[in-house]
Amino acid sequence: MTADLLLQAVVSGLLLGGVYGLVASGLSLIFGVLRIINFAHGAVMMLAMYTTYWLFTLLKVDPYLSILVTGPAFFVLGMIIQRLVIEPNRFAAEHNQLMLTLGLALVLENLALVLWQGDFRTVRPPYASASFMLGEALVEVPRLVACGGAVVMALALFAFLRLTDVGKAIRALAEEPEGAMLMGIDVRRIRAVAFGVGSGCVAVAGALVTPFFYVAPDVGESFNIMAFVVVVLGGMGNFVGALLSGFIVGLAESLGATLLPGSLKQLVVFALFVLVLLFRPAGLVGGGRGR
Amino acid sequence: MNRRVFLKTAGAGAGLGAMPGISRAQAKEVKLGYILPVTGPLAFEAQLSLNGLQLAVDEINNAGGVKSLGGAKLTLLSGDTQNKVELGNSEAARLIDQGISALIGPFSSLVAYSVRQVTEKNKTPFMLLAAVADNLTEGGLKYVFRMQPNGKAMATLTMNNMFEMAKAASTPIKRVAMMHEDGNFGTTMGNHVEAFAGRLGYSLVQRIPYSLKSPDFTAELSKVKASKPDLLVISGYYGDSRLIAETASKLRIGVHALVGLANAAYSNPKFIADNRELTDQLFDGNYWHNPQSPRAKAVFAAYEQRFSSTMTSHGVQAYMVIHVLKAALERAGSADRDKLRDALARTNLADHILPQDAIKFDDTGENVNATPALLQVQNGKPVVVGPARFAEATPVFPVPRWHG
Repeated sequence: MTADLLLQAVVSGLLLGGVYGLVASGLSLIFGVLRIINFAHGAVMMLAMYTTYWLFTLLKVDPYLSILVTGPAFFVLGMIIQRLVIEPNRFAAEHNQLMLTLGLALVLENLALVLWQGDFRTVRPPYASASFMLGEALVEVPRLVACGGAVVMALALFAFLRLTDVGKAIRALAEEPEGAMLMGIDVRRIRAVAFGVGSGCVAVAGALVTPFFYVAPDVGESFNIMAFVVVVLGGMGNFVGALLSGFIVGLAESLGATLLPGSLKQLVVFALFVLVLLFRPAGLVGGGRGR
Repeated sequence: MNRRVFLKTAGAGAGLGAMPGISRAQAKEVKLGYILPVTGPLAFEAQLSLNGLQLAVDEINNAGGVKSLGGAKLTLLSGDTQNKVELGNSEAARLIDQGISALIGPFSSLVAYSVRQVTEKNKTPFMLLAAVADNLTEGGLKYVFRMQPNGKAMATLTMNNMFEMAKAASTPIKRVAMMHEDGNFGTTMGNHVEAFAGRLGYSLVQRIPYSLKSPDFTAELSKVKASKPDLLVISGYYGDSRLIAETASKLRIGVHALVGLANAAYSNPKFIADNRELTDQLFDGNYWHNPQSPRAKAVFAAYEQRFSSTMTSHGVQAYMVIHVLKAALERAGSADRDKLRDALARTNLADHILPQDAIKFDDTGENVNATPALLQVQNGKPVVVGPARFAEATPVFPVPRWHG
């Protein structure tokens, strides 16, 4: 095992980890505020990727520029989904809400299958194959941009939650729902906003990965499963923890691929997942909601 | 004559009178059933097979049907598996009830494994289509036949074709790396490539199973690069195969060639059209037709005219399966399932469009001469470069760009 391989693993792991972190931040936010595990998160990402694809293919909109469209559009779509589907079932048993988001994911995926068939589509702007060497490690420019964009977006989310009134209301609702309601926060609206922000985050992540990935109806699953692991690792509902553990999972995955034979890289990640659940159920980064 | 005797003779008379009518009606059509995943995630591929079946059936019917059965026409009865085992079984049973002479299908090896028990119990010939798992013909079954290469033939003959080509290009292959998806398909291919290493005299320096859902292969491919292979063999589906080729290209992987093994992408015309630069000079060992055959050219033209798209290997396989059945029906002179089964076992069909010698089945029902073609993408098109006697173009090997 040479140092070059390890360096490559660290670089690739960190680059992908940023994207995991952003996907997971949105998921974590939704969990923190609405107390539901949103299985449809990956499907929303998939829809955002298709949006990016169509904007690029039909209107020649650069995938990074299209974030200005997909971000707000999916914020609104998220609010609509929350109002129409999630909110009416707010008092349903937890497992029913789980089935609800799972059902929503299946509906969206199959809708995509009907509308756009199972074809794998790709968005390849001119810079898609740009890369450079960092020592002996390959750095792909689109992956670097995706990671950078994800971190910027996650920091913006963090600032939004810390500094704005709506953000503070979201955190208040995450930490103490009844208290928040007593303080006169419009909790119904905040719940919709939180779902919207979470969906907007994952939509941005979707747009960021499109230049180096492919678009297909089940593409969201690749990121969604990892995002669950990341959320648990970071502490359910902990947004900063989600970003940090995104990097940890990315690293674990690529180091696992380098150091272990075969497809054991997934095993490393999921072993980490089970260990954290067993020994640190509040998450690696220190638990707590609304942090 | 009492009443009972009258009824008996009248019945017999009526029976006799009706007999020629019935046998004439039977001679008019031979029912063939297919079970395919015509709805669900594999619907598109299933349609490609279905087109091939229909093309062959119409061709035969327009040319006068099955001659030894008085010009009986072939009729296709349809069944949808949705790629599910339970539906495969129930649809097969339904079609058998409706009096089919043979069953064709069903794409998925998993579905095939279960359906073959239904066909065996009902003594119905079962022509496998697209199902590649080796074990489908195991277990001493009498009614299962497979015209296409199975997993083992696919893997070993593709490696063999590569080696012969490399030898001819005086660039011998010593070190092979393999990446395959970690499901049944990829693992089977990986096992054969590993087992075949001793026979062909290469060492398998890396074997990396991977998850289809993995969003990054940089670490895996860096490992491959560090092991300095001459050849990188990839058994995978669409998105993963694309990501691997793209990352390998960026890493300047430094191999003589990237070779797909029954790869779902590397000889897929749509994939090639969408990724012109990336796919240039990729190899793939896969089902194909014989480009040298004049009959293949005619069949492709007919397909193009009827379906306004290029015939694919799914269509080719389906088309030939119907012709294998038709030839057996001619020999059997009967639509009876057992007689058809015995006639199928005696198949020796030289007039076909596949890159192989005559189609013949061994005791287990495998086509003894089944061969994958070795393809290379040249100028945006997959062309046959091996085995040499079927080749339509000279292979580019070693491929300079992978050393770039």
